Amino acid sequence: MTIRMWGRLGLVAFAAVIVQVGLLDQIVVAGAHPDLFLLLAISAGVVGGPQRGAVIAFALGLVADVFVQTPYGLSSLCYVLVAFAMGMVVSTLPGRPTLGFQLVAAVLGGVGGTLLFAGLGTLIGQTDLSRHQLAIVAVVVAAGCAVLAPLSYRIFEWTVAVVPGTHRDAGAFAGGSAR
Amino acid sequence: MAASRRNTSQRLTLVILLLASITVITVAYKGEARRAVGSVRNGAADVLSPVQRGIAAALHPVGNLFAGVVDYGGALSENQRLQLEVGRLRRQLIESQQAQQQLDQLRAEQNLPFADGIPEVLAQVISSPSSNFELTIEIDRGTSDGVGVGMPVVSGIGLVGSVISAGRHTAVVQLLTDQGSAVGVRFGTGDVAVAQGQGGGSPLQLEDVSETSATHRGVPVVTSGLDVAAYPSGIPVGTVSSVRHPGGSLTSQVLVTPLVNLSVLQYVAVLQWLSPA
Repeated sequence: MTIRMWGRLGLVAFAAVIVQVGLLDQIVVAGAHPDLFLLLAISAGVVGGPQRGAVIAFALGLVADVFVQTPYGLSSLCYVLVAFAMGMVVSTLPGRPTLGFQLVAAVLGGVGGTLLFAGLGTLIGQTDLSRHQLAIVAVVVAAGCAVLAPLSYRIFEWTVAVVPGTHRDAGAFAGGSAR
Repeated sequence: MAASRRNTSQRLTLVILLLASITVITVAYKGEARRAVGSVRNGAADVLSPVQRGIAAALHPVGNLFAGVVDYGGALSENQRLQLEVGRLRRQLIESQQAQQQLDQLRAEQNLPFADGIPEVLAQVISSPSSNFELTIEIDRGTSDGVGVGMPVVSGIGLVGSVISAGRHTAVVQLLTDQGSAVGVRFGTGDVAVAQGQGGGSPLQLEDVSETSATHRGVPVVTSGLDVAAYPSGIPVGTVSSVRHPGGSLTSQVLVTPLVNLSVLQYVAVLQWLSPA
């Protein structure tokens, strides 16, 4: 990834913090709110591919964990797995992922990421939610992902400078071209 | 060949990132690193608090609208329930005046310390947690206002939780329904137990209540203040909502519904009281 991409990613992360903390945290439905950083991790995987997406998701997780009280690094662990899985799924597609596919990916990623975070949290002895509350959180997060996904994908296409709807992993670390 | 090399590279990246994440979790879990992470978190919260305050003030009606739209049926039934509740409370007011006299007498006899005399810092709730996996609130008072980690937080009618993290101008309060929360309580005819949080929307669970305890539904539960308790005594916590006696067990399963509606807090008071521990 190039310095320019990291710079763009920094801008995206900063904006995401403001939107999450200032706006989305206030939109509480049945005790849960949308999770923008999880959506960004999903988008990183879908747009950037498994390798680049996982690297971006790791960085996003470190930023997200500054604003919560859960163990530092837990979000990174979760986001890396989500982004990598999303990237792998998209990399098996013959052509560009359609808008429908992207929405489904966002919803499934939202549910999967929420359950994964809960599972990892339980593994390391953190507080876990009741099944009922976990289901509510998963639904709210997935719904938030579906609504915000089109915008998030466009932002990531700008961030990693890919042709809309495509992704490449080549040169993920070496500052290579994104195409 | 190229595809195989790329797959290997991808897997290697994944393994490195997973190991890095696990290392961060491990290193940041205790000691100096944990304190450093706490400082960074408090600093970030302080920096963002003006933004949160401004946006929260502007968006409270929007948030309420969302909640109302999603739960319109619930709001209607809640309205009817509240009307019944008002009638019931009017009757109780008369009864409670008599009960208050009895309580005053009991307190005088047992020489229990009051929460009333403890200095308090009024605070506004500026944010709910950014994670769906924690039951906390953020308030607009911090160490510069005399708020410290471990201090109890109350609303007008009862216990809310305690401060778990404090920056200069903001602090994070763990709600008593959080699964990490445990409150020493007293109820009934002097029974004591630990009220354990069970997550949002769930009642508190009293642990180690003897099967012979004569507690029943509706019994008020207050903080015990015993020995090195994290809360001063006498703060109302909730009322017993369920008592079960599982066959073959020596303890009862007692659930307590918190007095305070923790999902709609706007203002709270931090008691400037720290556990002797």
